[in-house]
Amino acid sequence: MVKSALSRTTIYILLSLGAVLMLLPFVWMISTSLKAPNEVMAMPPVWVPSEWKFENFTEALKVAPFDRYFINSVIVTIVSTIGELITTILAAYAFSRIQFFGRDIAFAVLLGTMMVPSEVLLIPNFVTLSNLGWIDTYSALIVPWTASVFAIFLLRQYFLGIPKELSFAAKVDGCSEFKFLWYVMAPLAKPALITVELLKVINSWNAFLWPIIVTNSQELRTLPVGLSAFTTEAGIKYELLMAASSMVIFPMLILFFIMQKYIVAGVARTGLKG
Amino acid sequence: MMDKPTWKSTLRAFLYLLPALLILIVFNIYPIIKSFLMSLYTDYDFYNDVVYEYGLSNFSDIFQDPNFIKAIVNTTVFVIGVVPVSIVLSLAIAIMLNSKIKALSFFRTIYFLPFVTSVVAVAIVWGWIFHSDYGLLNYFLGFFGIDPIEWLTDPTYSMPALIILSVWKGLGFNIIIFLAGLQNINKQYYLAAQVDGASAWHRFLSVTIPLLSPTMFFISIISIINAFKVFDEIFALFNGRPGPANSTLTVVYYVYQKFYEEWEFGLASAAAFVLFIIVFLFTLIQLSLGKKFVHYQ
Amino acid sequence: MSGPHEEALKGFIEQFNSEHENITVEPMNQGSYDDLEQKIMAAAKAKTLPTLAQAVTNVVPEYIGNDFIAPLNDFIEDPEIGLSEEELADYVDVFQQSSSWDGTFYSLPFSKSTRVLYYNSGILEEHNLEVPETWADIRNISETVTADGVVGMGFENSYESEFQAILKQLGGTYIDEASNEATFASQEGMEAMTMIKDMIDEGIARTAGEDDYMSNPFGIGDVAMYIGSSAGIPHVASAAEGNIEWSTTTFPTLDGEAATTFAGNDIVMFNQAEEAEQKAAWEFMKFLTSPEVTADWSMQSGYLPVRYSAQELPEYQSFVEENPAYAAGSQQFDAGFFIARVQGGDAVRNIILEEMELILLDEKSVEQGLTDAQERANEALQK
Repeated sequence: MVKSALSRTTIYILLSLGAVLMLLPFVWMISTSLKAPNEVMAMPPVWVPSEWKFENFTEALKVAPFDRYFINSVIVTIVSTIGELITTILAAYAFSRIQFFGRDIAFAVLLGTMMVPSEVLLIPNFVTLSNLGWIDTYSALIVPWTASVFAIFLLRQYFLGIPKELSFAAKVDGCSEFKFLWYVMAPLAKPALITVELLKVINSWNAFLWPIIVTNSQELRTLPVGLSAFTTEAGIKYELLMAASSMVIFPMLILFFIMQKYIVAGVARTGLKG
Repeated sequence: MMDKPTWKSTLRAFLYLLPALLILIVFNIYPIIKSFLMSLYTDYDFYNDVVYEYGLSNFSDIFQDPNFIKAIVNTTVFVIGVVPVSIVLSLAIAIMLNSKIKALSFFRTIYFLPFVTSVVAVAIVWGWIFHSDYGLLNYFLGFFGIDPIEWLTDPTYSMPALIILSVWKGLGFNIIIFLAGLQNINKQYYLAAQVDGASAWHRFLSVTIPLLSPTMFFISIISIINAFKVFDEIFALFNGRPGPANSTLTVVYYVYQKFYEEWEFGLASAAAFVLFIIVFLFTLIQLSLGKKFVHYQ
Repeated sequence: MSGPHEEALKGFIEQFNSEHENITVEPMNQGSYDDLEQKIMAAAKAKTLPTLAQAVTNVVPEYIGNDFIAPLNDFIEDPEIGLSEEELADYVDVFQQSSSWDGTFYSLPFSKSTRVLYYNSGILEEHNLEVPETWADIRNISETVTADGVVGMGFENSYESEFQAILKQLGGTYIDEASNEATFASQEGMEAMTMIKDMIDEGIARTAGEDDYMSNPFGIGDVAMYIGSSAGIPHVASAAEGNIEWSTTTFPTLDGEAATTFAGNDIVMFNQAEEAEQKAAWEFMKFLTSPEVTADWSMQSGYLPVRYSAQELPEYQSFVEENPAYAAGSQQFDAGFFIARVQGGDAVRNIILEEMELILLDEKSVEQGLTDAQERANEALQK
């Protein structure tokens, strides 16, 4: 359609230019993370380090136990994702397939909470957690994030698109509602579920403010929080900072490359059903 | 399925909702109410949960605080700076990607990369790129004869720097949604328009835009809400400060300052509540506009 | 606290735990000092305060005002577990003062630092210049050495500390602790601010700006001198390694007047703990501020020793001989003063930094900026 307006070559040039701009920060990050200190500040910039300083990574690991943070990030991400998966499927089913009193109001209230900036919730939540004795435990990092209005909303939209006739058929076959949900609805909604949960994984992995507030001991810290160990100390060493940033970013990039079909298709779907 | 709600169906629904509701009520809804109540505390002992007096003075106080007004202005500037630019750019890129080019998934992957990365980490990288003496950006601008710009220390440029980072970060998400919207448009419409002799631009205006309006609508709501809530980017880019001379002090940042730096819990809650109202009104307006102008296929 | 600092502290705790059979100290890392403050407030709310913690001296009044922390006089004066008069006198004067309020001790000094002048000895030698002693020297040197790629003088982003010191040297007062009133928009205040601003406007001085701390630009030789915290010495050392020769000297004087701020962290004891816990905590506080430990901590962290006798220890003396940059800090104990400790001190700091930034950006005149800052500061202090 735009073919006639813009020549194919122009399109390629523009897209490539944009792609370079998108990639540049990553390239620069990796390049800096492998430089010797004197090349970090060099002008004109050094793109390829004359000597590959892989020891910047081990050096960064010395300043903070990134291996431990990594494990924590993995645990928190996996458990909260599974938790959210379960609560979301159940709630989305109720909102899409069951008529009940106050349904629209309940749904509207939940959607309304999406508009509240999460920073507002921190202090009351901190107090709740400490009353539960959960401060500085995995529960504090995980439990509050095992339900999400956004996920319920998305899945409900998807469920609405599944023909109702299916459930009548299931009923005729004597299949219980609960079984029907787990064995028919949920698998049918797999693309939507994968999307929702991949987005969840990304968010959970990158979360920053919450983990820093609710954990005290280093043993419980997650990766982005570990990054702050570098910036709080006086005297920033950019090569180490970039090495640490790479360590935080890479796992998600790898996950993205593996699962990109689902993430892309999923994000696309969230837009269509919106 | 049943068409009328009954008490039985309500009970059933409740059981399904229970796990999610439990979490959401304790960690989302209760704190919102609590925060709202706290915005009305005018005389209180926070640590012992004693409130001596309720009132509205927190609200009048923040509206008299020039920093709060500044935060509202800055937030508005940020929203106006990020949302349209991001939408126009991502729509343009999506349309280019949709023109049956090779290497579609390659480009799509690259544009989407920033979205999956940690804000804290990329803001640190961008802070390094924006450095006035050693940053890449000024180095490149130097080729065009532009003198080094103090992106992070000159209040004139700190907001543009923040906007650049935010657009870069969020572009991929919008592109993918637009792309999906475009691919969803029935090719028949284009053929019909072509038969009618409509020009490419005309087809864009009369077919693409109207049929893409639900997508556009969705993206603008999500983008605006997110832009109003910007915080992490600022915190990481300016190292825990709201930019030079408060030039990137946004409402959420103001809330953060009152909460965690000055321990003015009442004022912080009042400011958060005001933000909530603004975003809420905005969404309502958009929803009503959406009903009028959005075409569904 | 992270990296080497944390390791050092863990070492002390292990030593203490093994020396005291019935006391176990459990460290909890709280990230940066800002994080620590926020968490203390949150923990106070949740009634989960630790037994003791480090606290930036300026927030101690906040803790006293909210009744979080215990006065220490009973412990200090206790004949059995207390401190003898000699021992108490061994604590550096300026730290004793900054830990007590109307004669009541609420904290013991721990991670203390002061402002010192860092200079690039290579650049000074190149121009045949002496190590600066006064603000006039600073100006002369800066005018001489500022050239393409080098700025003479540097200020940290938190240069309100230098402003306070110059103000004091001129005879002015920043905040009057007794009346709880900010008084820095005085004639002296304007003079002090003008002095800093003029140097920056002329291009012979700069602030750290986007570099966050001066250690980096100084370390790569972009700045010939700067005033910064003595706690930054290890950072400067690592930034400067292989690039420049450098050392430190005492804070510059003005018309013969010496004054420099001492800041940093104290240890406080929270009052929610039980008596036995408090006693144990007191033992630990004594241990951490004992001459041997404070000397050791100082050598490992770059903070100042808090006891006079710590400086006499042979290990410490040979350490300073090997690392002369560490000498300047304790040389200026007598010229030391501390930032007024008032409730709302953090808010005042935010305000003054904000207004000073506007002054440097020429959005406000010196007079306008300081007057506005003072007005806002007083509002914050009266709350």
